[in-house]
Amino acid sequence: MTTGAIITLIAMCVVFIGALGFCFSRLGKGGEWED
Amino acid sequence: MVGIIRERWPGRATFIFAAIGSAIGLGNIWRFPYMTYDNGGAAFLIAWIIGLIVIGVPWMMMEFGMGRYFQRSAPGVFEGIGKKWEWVGWWPVFMAFLIVTYYTVILAWVLRYIISSATVAWGVGASGAAGAGDFFFGNILQISEGPTALGSLVWPTVIALALTWIAIYLIVFKGAKVIGKVSVWVVSLAWVFLLILVIRGLTLPGVTQGLNFYLDPNLSALGDVTVWFAAFSQIAFTLSLGMAGMFAYGSFIAKKADVTNSAFITSFSNCATSFFAGFAVFSVVGFIMQAMNIPVGDVSASGLGLAFITFPVGVSMMPGANAFIGVIFFLSLFFLGLSSAYFLAYGGVISPIMDKFGLSRVKSTAIVCVIAFLIGLLYCTQGGLYWLDQVDRMACFYGLLITGVLATVVVGWRFGAGKLRENLNETSDIKVGAWWDWLIKLIVPAALLFVVIQGGFMKDIAAPYEGYSTAWIIWALLGATLILSFVFQAVKTKGPKGGE
Repeated sequence: MTTGAIITLIAMCVVFIGALGFCFSRLGKGGEWED
Repeated sequence: MVGIIRERWPGRATFIFAAIGSAIGLGNIWRFPYMTYDNGGAAFLIAWIIGLIVIGVPWMMMEFGMGRYFQRSAPGVFEGIGKKWEWVGWWPVFMAFLIVTYYTVILAWVLRYIISSATVAWGVGASGAAGAGDFFFGNILQISEGPTALGSLVWPTVIALALTWIAIYLIVFKGAKVIGKVSVWVVSLAWVFLLILVIRGLTLPGVTQGLNFYLDPNLSALGDVTVWFAAFSQIAFTLSLGMAGMFAYGSFIAKKADVTNSAFITSFSNCATSFFAGFAVFSVVGFIMQAMNIPVGDVSASGLGLAFITFPVGVSMMPGANAFIGVIFFLSLFFLGLSSAYFLAYGGVISPIMDKFGLSRVKSTAIVCVIAFLIGLLYCTQGGLYWLDQVDRMACFYGLLITGVLATVVVGWRFGAGKLRENLNETSDIKVGAWWDWLIKLIVPAALLFVVIQGGFMKDIAAPYEGYSTAWIIWALLGATLILSFVFQAVKTKGPKGGE
């Protein structure tokens, strides 16, 4: 693969893992799931 | 606000899986990877991520949040804002209904391909690859010359369509509880199948060539307005927003439960699935380029062409496990599509009908499934593909975008984006700031308008869509569904507040 393609791949992995990691770390910090 | 207990998701995980299942669909495989390649690779991905954050996530928060606030599906939400706005909730219901009538026919074709793949019915090797297109158009569709030549019903497709609707009925007739539990399995299996496809794809010769086409950055493309148009349109279409269903899914959330974090997780999971699916697609594209010694421009890498011709070509040319990979590919398509189909049927159509007319879930489900199946027979004819294409243009392009603009404007300006934000922040894991108000009031509707004008009106007014002599049906259906929305608004709501 070209260097550019590899950089794109790594950058996208960082974005998705970072975003989803942040979201899952916040689970349960807000309201209650039951009524 | 409400007096009767609304049906509920059995748990947070089931809701997240149901929402992800509704968002991910056939487009994650057959639209996103090609658009990335066609719009500058990394440049497109940057615009796409920006579009996700400023359009997709806020829009999803709005639909979940309004559904939860009013504990009603889309028409009930807008009726709650003001009786005169109820039609804004009905219009996307008609779009969801029309979409699911043809979406299930595509699933019927996929179902037939699962069976055909078990024997690689279009053939193995170079001769099979050469015959993949004829197999689709000749054997599966038995296609006619044009939309006015409907021909006869293709009975194997009719049977597959009936089976698809039976599956949808069985999943949705008990409501959110079963939908949530089924979604955990459907989405998980779809991911497992995609993983198998990616692993197989990465071990094929020519994979590097394909992945370079997929991911090679051309950052200068960021200055091109068409790249932003492509990215915004992909975000608008990929999250299953503007189809009424997310309001209903949001209405099944407990009133004190989180919304914003669930919207983030759903949106990012959907987009991560798209990105991942690109490896399965472009590894096979690279393999075909090398095996057949053809340039990338000669390999159809999007839409029906990718699913029903290019991938079968790749399956024919593979050095081994052809049938296994073929079955896995079409199973992944079926599972990805099925979760969107029952979302459209239940959240988009059945739940609004229950809320409005006070019908039982079983009766509403039976009525919707039977009528949608009967309308779907049009697309099971030899000329059905042409009509499918036009109705798709009307409902999944114009309908989705225009109703999205209307919904965000009415919520943002009439109901009050700030009021909804304060309600969301009271219970959510992630608090949103005042910037969110302006995304809902201005940025999201402006971006959707940009897409509908640039990619729709500018083209379809200058010349009939795809040159069809029957393209007037697009405008006729848009007008008819709008009129029907006002008719439904005029009917007295009989369902109890809360929809149960």
